[in-house]
Amino acid sequence: MDKIPIVELENLKVKLGRREILHGITCRLGVSGTGQAVGLLGPNGAGKSTLILTLLGFLRPSAGHARILGMDCRRNVREAHSRIGYMPENDSFVGEMTAVTFLRQMAELSGLPAKAALEKAHEVLFHVGLGESRYRELRTYSYGMKQMAKLAQAIVHGPELVVLDEPTNGLDPAARRRMLKLVVDMKTEQGMNVLVCSHLLADIEQVCDEAVILKDGAIVHHCNLEEERRSNKSFVELEVTGDDRNLRMALPEIGAEGVSEGGGRWRIVLPAGVGVEAIWGLTARQNLLVRKLTHRRDTLEEIFLKAMGHLLHTPGESAALDVGRT
Amino acid sequence: MVLPRYAWRRLYQERLVVVLTMAAFVWPLLCAGFIYLTNHLELLQGLDPEFRAFIQVDGRFFSIFMYVQAGFAGLIAALAGPGLVAPDLSNNALPLYFSRPLTRWTYALARLTVIGGMLSIVTWVPGLLLFGLQVALAGGRWFLANWTLGAGVVAGFLLWVLILSLVAMASSVYVKWRVVAGAVSLAFFFLLTGVTEMIEQVFRATWAHVLDPAWAVNRVWCTLLGVDPPAGPGAAACTVSLAAFILLLGLVIERKLRPVEVVR
Repeated sequence: MDKIPIVELENLKVKLGRREILHGITCRLGVSGTGQAVGLLGPNGAGKSTLILTLLGFLRPSAGHARILGMDCRRNVREAHSRIGYMPENDSFVGEMTAVTFLRQMAELSGLPAKAALEKAHEVLFHVGLGESRYRELRTYSYGMKQMAKLAQAIVHGPELVVLDEPTNGLDPAARRRMLKLVVDMKTEQGMNVLVCSHLLADIEQVCDEAVILKDGAIVHHCNLEEERRSNKSFVELEVTGDDRNLRMALPEIGAEGVSEGGGRWRIVLPAGVGVEAIWGLTARQNLLVRKLTHRRDTLEEIFLKAMGHLLHTPGESAALDVGRT
Repeated sequence: MVLPRYAWRRLYQERLVVVLTMAAFVWPLLCAGFIYLTNHLELLQGLDPEFRAFIQVDGRFFSIFMYVQAGFAGLIAALAGPGLVAPDLSNNALPLYFSRPLTRWTYALARLTVIGGMLSIVTWVPGLLLFGLQVALAGGRWFLANWTLGAGVVAGFLLWVLILSLVAMASSVYVKWRVVAGAVSLAFFFLLTGVTEMIEQVFRATWAHVLDPAWAVNRVWCTLLGVDPPAGPGAAACTVSLAAFILLLGLVIERKLRPVEVVR
């Protein structure tokens, strides 16, 4: 039996007025029921929020289909809504309500019986760290607390999929870490699927298993972050003093390849399992003095910049391609 | 029934709404006293016989009762109605509601049910109780001769409650700010009455009254209660005009009550 994707888009086009925002997107993202997280990345105006609003059934596609958890976003909207939770980007709450009443109401609206809704409201508020202030009116909350309350209302009914729109926006570093930890817990401990929309690459990299990069209403890159992590390629930018003419020939000793940029500067691709200490050993054997050594993994930032057209290719790829040409 | 339940709770947490609702019962109580007196003429022995013949429970009595009570209902609708909808819009809570198994129409209907229910408490419910009191005191023969009055009171008030609820909701979704929405609700009626008067004075045309929903409702009441109507367009024209108002208000709600505002 086919695995049901979290999100499935078929030539999806969405217009706002006469302006087409999404230009015929087709993709299958994630696998439902596996606790996977999918990230939607893109600069402002790329169409991320439009895509999320379409998936929630708030906007009508002008062509094509959008399915969430296998359900059509227009035809099965009620069923889809009962199985998802949504945390919007902007302030969204009923200020005159206490957090516990608000969550209880939202849980009941999602179909939980009144008593179970009350229990879940208390439980979830403690879970997100608002236990002590759960009887306070939401309008008295700080921004960070409101963000947590928004997350709480999205998960109070135990949905299969949680859609998070810029969940860490405006949070201080500690609150951001806490929010990301909660999101990771949601997928690892509770098996919820998560769809995260963010412009913060670090958030997506930390939380997601799969990422889609949107630009001008089209998908410009779709990558499996888990595979990227598993490939574990890393790159070293090295600057040495001394006679480095033999370094290129010596690199294969440790399974690495590299390219000289002149002036003692090298860009080296390390295979999986080879640490930066191998470079230290190699340079020592070559009697080279290391002036600078920068070691980094193939980050989402590079993928993102490449997808946006700011980089022609990733440094690792260029190093690999240029090996032997120098 | 989840939304109405929470809305009722929110509604009666407001002291002013409670006070105004209580105040709205003073007039029905006075009317109840009047009904009691008209059915116990021995208490009015010393009064002029002509006056005793004048005071009786008929269509005119119920139209006066409805006229005063409709004013209270208008005030309550303007005060409490926007409090149920405007905060949801000003706090951007609609995406949270509509991302759940709840349609826009279910939401609107739930809110209208509460506004309508709250207005019913001060309109047709006391009206029906007064009618019931008169029937209890005057007997079955009176009921057989005047049952249309009871039906007229209920139908007339339901029409007024519908108009008030829609105006309160439409103004709330339009301006999103509770206090202003309340003022707009009242201004809707005063402004249209003013415009109607102006047109009438300038063009010497009584047809302009169809543009005044309060007048049009009163005209329909006159027909329902069998009371002499004021000069102007007939009940049919007023009914059509009110239907157009209802359609227009429904359209405003449909256009503005959306989870996201699309900037085109």
